[in-house]
Amino acid sequence: MNTRGRKQLRISHVGLRGVVGAGMTAAHVLDFASAFGTFLEKGPVVVGRDPRASGTMIHEGVTAALMACGHDVISLGIVSTPVIQHAICRLDAAGGVSIGASHNAAEWNALKFFGPKGIYLSTAEAGELLDIYHLRKFDYVEWNRIGKLRTEENAIDPYLDDLAAVYDFDALRRFRVVVDCCNGTSSLILRRLNERFGFNILLINEQIEGVSFAHEPLTDARNVALQLAPLMKPLCADAGFLFDVDSDRVAMATDEGCPVSEEMVLPMLADYLLPRSTGKLVITNLSSTALLEEVAAWHGAKVIRVPVGRQAAIDALSSYRPEQVAIAGEGTGAVMMPQFRFVYDGIASMLAILSMMRERGQKLSEIVASYPKYCMLKGEVPLVTQRVPALMAELRARNAGARINMLDGIRVDWPDRWLHVRVSQTEPIVRIICEQRGEPPHALFSGVMEHVRSFV
Amino acid sequence: MAREHLLKIGVSGIRGVVGEFLTPGLACAFAQAFGTYVNSGRVVVGRDTRSSGEMLQHAVQCGLLAAGCEVVDVGVLPTPTIQVFVASTRARGGIAITASHNPSEYNALKLFNARGLFFNHYERSELLDLYHQREFREATNEEIRGIVREYETPARLHLERVLKHVNVERIRARRFRVALDGVNGAGSVLSCRFLRDMLGCDLKAISVDPTKPFPRVAEPRPDTVGELAELVRREKCDIGFAQDPDGDRLAVADETGRVLDNDDVLALAVDAALGRVPGDVVVNLTTSSVIDDIAAAHGRRVHRTPVGEANVVEGIESAKAAIGGEGPNGGIIFPAVHLCRDSYTGMAFLLDRMAETGLTASELASRLPRYYRKAGKLAYEHGRLGMLMQALEDAFPSAELDRTDGLKLMLPEGWIHLRASNTEPLLRIAAEARTEKGVEELYRSALERLGG
Repeated sequence: MNTRGRKQLRISHVGLRGVVGAGMTAAHVLDFASAFGTFLEKGPVVVGRDPRASGTMIHEGVTAALMACGHDVISLGIVSTPVIQHAICRLDAAGGVSIGASHNAAEWNALKFFGPKGIYLSTAEAGELLDIYHLRKFDYVEWNRIGKLRTEENAIDPYLDDLAAVYDFDALRRFRVVVDCCNGTSSLILRRLNERFGFNILLINEQIEGVSFAHEPLTDARNVALQLAPLMKPLCADAGFLFDVDSDRVAMATDEGCPVSEEMVLPMLADYLLPRSTGKLVITNLSSTALLEEVAAWHGAKVIRVPVGRQAAIDALSSYRPEQVAIAGEGTGAVMMPQFRFVYDGIASMLAILSMMRERGQKLSEIVASYPKYCMLKGEVPLVTQRVPALMAELRARNAGARINMLDGIRVDWPDRWLHVRVSQTEPIVRIICEQRGEPPHALFSGVMEHVRSFV
Repeated sequence: MAREHLLKIGVSGIRGVVGEFLTPGLACAFAQAFGTYVNSGRVVVGRDTRSSGEMLQHAVQCGLLAAGCEVVDVGVLPTPTIQVFVASTRARGGIAITASHNPSEYNALKLFNARGLFFNHYERSELLDLYHQREFREATNEEIRGIVREYETPARLHLERVLKHVNVERIRARRFRVALDGVNGAGSVLSCRFLRDMLGCDLKAISVDPTKPFPRVAEPRPDTVGELAELVRREKCDIGFAQDPDGDRLAVADETGRVLDNDDVLALAVDAALGRVPGDVVVNLTTSSVIDDIAAAHGRRVHRTPVGEANVVEGIESAKAAIGGEGPNGGIIFPAVHLCRDSYTGMAFLLDRMAETGLTASELASRLPRYYRKAGKLAYEHGRLGMLMQALEDAFPSAELDRTDGLKLMLPEGWIHLRASNTEPLLRIAAEARTEKGVEELYRSALERLGG
């Protein structure tokens, strides 16, 4: 097992991801973007990036490759991923590329690819893209049909106009909100919300930063507790939000200054959206909280659980009619809503949470407290690839009496607790998650951890 | 038949037909090798107006940034302007994206060192080794720098430097009527500014839209600039200038619309330069003997080098020469401005000579010693060059021989030069004599020996 290689570069159905320099190089970027230019139908391609310094280099390479394949490139500069997806749709582009490593550390970068209408590539499409990449037979056009580059200075305003059509900005702007931008793209959007619509959003870590972020750009309770939560009470804020660098994920802090588990974003928004949605399906992965089933039951809805990772969610979404689905998302704070074109969008999620507070006339702390308590414990163990099948078979045999799901590793469900053991897609580790309604499932968790460790 | 070389990666850099052959990946990798070679730092990038230029510039910038360089993007500019800027901006080097006088479907990377000079032979082969070894510097996120845009300064620096060497007031006072054919190239906009605003000419310009394709063969030669000649006659201009797409080469038409031999243009520039600065003259082996006559009149020597701008530049540097160039292809190199082929220096010198002497362009040309030249090309076959050189040598046993670049035979009545092209799969043959009959005879007898 070569852990060094696996940690620094990953080329998969999700795209290209790596530590710039050590893993991901200009050559990878040129080839992958050329494969995408070859894969796409004719037409312009939208390109945007997050603020990482390596984004300048990658942007140049992506631009050159797409132009060489005959595509005009519309560059949005530094913008969030949802804004890129919105622009693809608005400009009726053939597709788009988002350059940014989202919640990963600053030294990482990645390419994410979108088809027409700004939708993520399906697994089948991504497979074709990978094949073109590996074959390295690119459709470069002749010298006189090479694409042109143009820049679109303001992609944020049209995006906000569309959000304003969905959410009641007049009402929402009265909330006093604090946001930790983690030096990412959300600050550009939120500043415009303040300027154009008179929102009352106070920003911290709002400086766009290419090399070092104020803290890990992960949207979880731990990072909310660092800087955001302690500010809530002193600033008399109604709600606090933390975004990752490309603004597709969100985490929260209550008016009382408590960090809210990232697992809560999806159930809360499901609770808010299910009554006003024709769709009665909630799509999520096997690792997210069982509170979702409880919330869904209140509204006569059903939870569809798919393997972990964006790709499985995309494929699941495309197997239902859009009007059947009320919401889709992960326990990481990445949520897609039909009101807003089914893209992971942290800003739209924030606006939906504020709408929920307004319509219920409740404080955020009151809303969070109104849900039954679930406790989740997470752990990881280094991976020995060869022994994974034996581990899974053993876990299955030991839990024969419970409900078993083998779609992604093994998930075992009992009436008020569950465990999920799976192989990470991004790191060479086995992830272990246990959750219980009420108190933390310490005994269950330590038992499983010990068992998994015995396989190392 | 030799294979058609639609891509050439060699000591002169990387050149090829864009699309299937010269790809963004190749340009990026080559630029990353370059960035590694110059050890990061600031690198200037510019281009001519070819439709593939913008794409390749992004690929080059990607490679440079990946190697940890700070990129200074100067946009569309003539190659000499880029070179002057590299030398004056504390850059580690520069890259011009241009295939110079080659057809539109070609493009190439011209590489410059920190002094804004073409990479010399050793630098080029070191870079090539680095490219092949693929041991590029891979900058981390913290080490990656940005792109700075500099669209104004380079042009100002270059043109100011050219004008220091001519009498601007004297030229302006004449209000010359000047025809210009910019081939819609990198010099289009700059040349209008130079001739109209700075030198006070009454300018009649064609093909000066950098967004349009080249309207004629890119290389400015007597047989390709017919439109310029017509413009000169129609508008009754005093002189006409035609540039190549990256503004380093120049062709000149006199007031009658006759396009001067490029060798004669160089001779006029040499005459102007030697009157101003000390030093010898350096030209390539295929350049006309008219240069020797002019130099002799000023009491200076002429040094010969193999064909290729880099060779002539090296020669000028080592001889501390006053001026040099490559006669047949319209290249004037005046080191007091910069050690590079520069059409702007050429234009300024010719206008200055006309203003100084009060003579017309045709009068100036007619005062030059008269030589007759003939040049052509043969298909290249591997191994054939040596054989042909042998045949020529046998045919002219009394000739004085120069083997620095192919074979040059110097005879009492003139000379013959046979060599392999650096850029195309061709053999080039040239001959010169004092009479038209003489050159025809030399050329024909050479061709006979070559089986052409």
